[in-house]
Amino acid sequence: MRLAALLSVVALGALMAQPACARQTPQGDGFALLRSGAYDEAIDAFRAELRREEDVRVRKGLVTALAEVGRYEDAAEAARAGNDVALANTLGEVLLAVGERAAAEAAFRAALEGAAADSLDARANLGMLLLARGRRDAAHAEFQRFFGYYNQNVATSAEELAATARAVRELGATNAQLFHDALRALDEALAAEPEYLEARLLIGELFAEKYQFGEAKAAFQQILAVNPRQPRALTGLARASLYDAGDEAIEYLRAALEVNPNLVPARALLARLYLTGESFAPAEREAERALAVDGTNLQALGVLAATRFLGRDMEGYRELRARALEANPAGSRFFTTVGELAVQHRRYRESVELAAEATTVDSLDWNAWGLLGLNELRLGRVDDARTHLERAFAGDPFHVWIKNSLDLMDTYSGYATVATENFELFLEEPEAELLAVYLGPLAEEAYAGLAARYGYRPETPVRVEVYPSHADFSVRTVGLAGLGALGVAFGNVLAMDSPKAREAGTFNWGSTFWHELAHSVTLGVTDHAVPRWLTEGISVAEERRARPGWGDDPGLSFLVAFNADRLLPVAELNRGFTRPAYPEQIQHAYLQSSLVVELIEREWGFAAVRSMLDGYRQGRSTAAIFGDVLDEDPEEFDARFAAMLRERWGRALAGLPEGDAAAEMLATRTFVAGAEPGADDFMSQLKRGEQLLAEDRPEAARPYLERARDIFPGHAPTGGGPYLLLAGLAEARGELADAARELAAHVAVNESDYAAHLEVARLYEESGDSAAAAGVLEAAMYIWPYDLEQHQRLALLHRAAGDPGGEVQERRAIVALRPVDMAQARYELAAALHRAGDAEGARTEVIRALEIAPSFPDAQRLLLELRRGGGAP
Amino acid sequence: MRRVFLATMLVMFLAPAHAAGQSHLLVVSGLGGEARYTEWFTEWGATLVDAAVESYGMPAANVTFLAERTELDPERIDGRSTKAEIEAAFRALAARSRPGETVVVVLMGHGAVGGAGPRVNLPGPDLTATEWAAQLDRLDGRRVAFVNTASSSGAFLEAVAAPERVVVTATKSGMERNEAVFGRHFAAAFAGDGADTDKDGRVSLLEAFVYARAETAREYEDDNKLLTEHAVLDDDGDGKGAEAFTPDGEGRLASILFLGDPAAARAGADAPPELRAALERKRVLEGQLAELRARRASMDPAAYQAALEDVLVGIAEVDEEIRRLGGGG
Repeated sequence: MRLAALLSVVALGALMAQPACARQTPQGDGFALLRSGAYDEAIDAFRAELRREEDVRVRKGLVTALAEVGRYEDAAEAARAGNDVALANTLGEVLLAVGERAAAEAAFRAALEGAAADSLDARANLGMLLLARGRRDAAHAEFQRFFGYYNQNVATSAEELAATARAVRELGATNAQLFHDALRALDEALAAEPEYLEARLLIGELFAEKYQFGEAKAAFQQILAVNPRQPRALTGLARASLYDAGDEAIEYLRAALEVNPNLVPARALLARLYLTGESFAPAEREAERALAVDGTNLQALGVLAATRFLGRDMEGYRELRARALEANPAGSRFFTTVGELAVQHRRYRESVELAAEATTVDSLDWNAWGLLGLNELRLGRVDDARTHLERAFAGDPFHVWIKNSLDLMDTYSGYATVATENFELFLEEPEAELLAVYLGPLAEEAYAGLAARYGYRPETPVRVEVYPSHADFSVRTVGLAGLGALGVAFGNVLAMDSPKAREAGTFNWGSTFWHELAHSVTLGVTDHAVPRWLTEGISVAEERRARPGWGDDPGLSFLVAFNADRLLPVAELNRGFTRPAYPEQIQHAYLQSSLVVELIEREWGFAAVRSMLDGYRQGRSTAAIFGDVLDEDPEEFDARFAAMLRERWGRALAGLPEGDAAAEMLATRTFVAGAEPGADDFMSQLKRGEQLLAEDRPEAARPYLERARDIFPGHAPTGGGPYLLLAGLAEARGELADAARELAAHVAVNESDYAAHLEVARLYEESGDSAAAAGVLEAAMYIWPYDLEQHQRLALLHRAAGDPGGEVQERRAIVALRPVDMAQARYELAAALHRAGDAEGARTEVIRALEIAPSFPDAQRLLLELRRGGGAP
Repeated sequence: MRRVFLATMLVMFLAPAHAAGQSHLLVVSGLGGEARYTEWFTEWGATLVDAAVESYGMPAANVTFLAERTELDPERIDGRSTKAEIEAAFRALAARSRPGETVVVVLMGHGAVGGAGPRVNLPGPDLTATEWAAQLDRLDGRRVAFVNTASSSGAFLEAVAAPERVVVTATKSGMERNEAVFGRHFAAAFAGDGADTDKDGRVSLLEAFVYARAETAREYEDDNKLLTEHAVLDDDGDGKGAEAFTPDGEGRLASILFLGDPAAARAGADAPPELRAALERKRVLEGQLAELRARRASMDPAAYQAALEDVLVGIAEVDEEIRRLGGGG
């Protein structure tokens, strides 16, 4: 087990508690206004004061205020007007913000040569500038001087200590422990001047850089409590919120850019977020706006280059690459930016290449080593991944994703690999044998079916990793716990939750696997260029094709969202996955995408789906593909889609609220009946039926429940809904066939209701239909395969139904579950194999049974029968 | 419903039964506190007593059942489970049994810790773990199994452990204080047919322990409760309860201790010579099997499998003959 390094700030909380009067710096009205974010008023105040009397501190305040709102030219002009070496460093910062590096360097050097009061800050700035130009040795030489400044008490003011922190932080690339020293210097800066916001900004940025987003947010929030418009704090908060659900990061960036439209880091980050959401045009626009301010910014260059790279415009990409390397020959950040965005677009192989290139230009870029290792892991190159992740962790022990991934890989010794014709199943030892009983045949069936349908065979062996801990699956996927997904496809490497990873009845692991393998096919057939909405839509649609009941169906909230006009246009469907605007939207996006795919297949044939995939493989846009393949633009398609929903769910939709009322229902998630029940109002019918049941009036309840069922047949929540209630009523009346029919309809909608599956199997069994009972019980195994009794039951049902292959499968599952009476389990397996005509298999198993229990009479008889040449009974 | 699956190490313990003469059983069901517990403990004890006599052929004279209320089952209960009666029962056991014979002592009831030390509640004064140990020491030279199915019984381990003595407790420590159901399943292991995992027609102490532990876990699982009793077994005398076993380490003695041997009873001196000859052949084959297993690690797997099959076929044929001769099995 590795210990991840954690940064901690000692004085932050205590210092924030200090009263404002503790402030030591001189200030006028302008400073107070600047500090509170009243920038225009601050600028006016500074100018007024300067008109009265030239004062270098006031002028510095003016330059700072102008720079904070992005008026860089005015800021530079104001700085130059002061004609004082004391302003040189501030001028350099302004020039650096707009990419005028040579002029900035000259300004910083002037401050140093003139022994300006802020010369330590100028030296730190000079080092940063050298670093940005790829001159690491020269930069580090500047930074090294700060050890002397600090140890000899030269750096004592808040500004000097903050400069020291910046220098030490950069030296942390070669010694991670220096990050702690940087933080200590910032603590001291705040001790020297509690209201020195720059120190707090640096603390927030340092924490964000080291993945401690909670602490980072706290630091930024403290600044925003003083100045709610502080652009760098808002940008920092956006960075610390990047992995949160919702649109908060974008909101923070918009707020920052409202104050400073020329703030390049904010603009570049916004561009990145757009591209993460597969919104190419806005991403390109924002990146270009950032570069118009500072043409050397690697982050902006990286995002713009990523739009080219992901759009298969390699010439455009190379041009930007050359520009980035000209700006900074050691500019690994450019490659990691493109590489990270490639990951977001499921282009894992390319992200490995980009990360490797990043490590070539800067071997001290630990983030690049981590990116390389994580994506090698995604490609199933476990040994290479471990090597590179170890290297990344040695250089940056704060990187929690890398630490988690390495810890996870340490557990791999407890996993077994089961090979089938086209798959390599990577399963945890205790459940490997059991899961392989089902997953092996299912995987081959899915592979054959999908390969034939899409004309594409994923590269074999396809690696399927199944994690019995959801946290491990989450770490495997994103490096952190807390991922909501059940499975992920990285191409021909799949990872998913084992059924054990969640409570029984919460998901179907068979359909999850099928879904992920369908991703492998659509990713492969498009060379990883398929948009998120289409690959998800196809995967859900393929689940539905695979087995009755598999694949989610639209529920009530989806219909309400449609009535509320909250479903997304098809051209913007990606947004539902990447930046959902309300909690259910991601689920709605899955459903909508699948219905779009099914509508295309219904109206244009499956060939159209394949043509669309081909279009994406060629790098074409959604609008162009819709035009060429469907002869419709996306807007026309949206109208067709809406018509299809009305046609298919018209009765249910008619009984639901519309417009604002629907939006309100969606927002409050209160899907309850209205006050005035209507004949076509699903919810009021269901509610009335439930009320009558509660009053013990089953026959009065029945017509309401039947009406509810007929209005919206897709409502079958686990443990409830009209089907289950009607099944209960039918069984109470002794009408077992009716009860079975209702339950069968329920499980045909709900793939995960384990108890309902068992119930319908029981009813079929009691009615003597062993084959139907076996079918439903087998489906239940893809929900929860760990129940020994159900396997015993299913084995007997298969036997009764004359399905020796099914019986053998169940007997194997029982053996895999390691029952206490293992001799009996192996004997039963041997007997099933014997009945299935596999004499050799039977002999092997019966010997295993007798090895445990040498005097086991039934097993002895079978062994002797087999030895005497007894064929299948 | 999540099932608990146990390690099945016990299946390797196929050493031939110890030729150990008679077995003796003392069952003590303690103070129930409430009527339902008194009934539980008495019922579990009766189940075990019946299994010993009816299924394992133990002479009734070798079985003693002491309970809180004799009137609940006067046919089976021999006396009250008071300290004095228990001490008297141990004196009788020591007099009745011979060195080398098997003595199984089973306690049902509520346990407690603190005060004078770990104990099981009895009508009147309790016996502490140390006092139980002193009683067990009267049985020097016998192969003794002491099974305490009470809550907090794990606290007994250190006091009662001894060489050549099997100790089973329903809990792993004195801290597991909730009512324990292990005793019900331990008794059922001998009464039912689910615990005989090596299919030799009898249930060893180890098989009963593994079965009862698994069924206890299953009961908690089915009732959707957190498992609050973790039974352990010690038979190497170190006083440390184990949950996993090895053929020649912890569990070895428990795997060869039985309440009785129905087959051996059938193959007594009055059995036909053909049957006795068949049983002797089987004993030889079982010896070969044990030897083969011992050499497994050093053998080529295919050769081992072939030899194994030959021996197993031999045992199957001889068992077939034993059955034909009315020797059971």
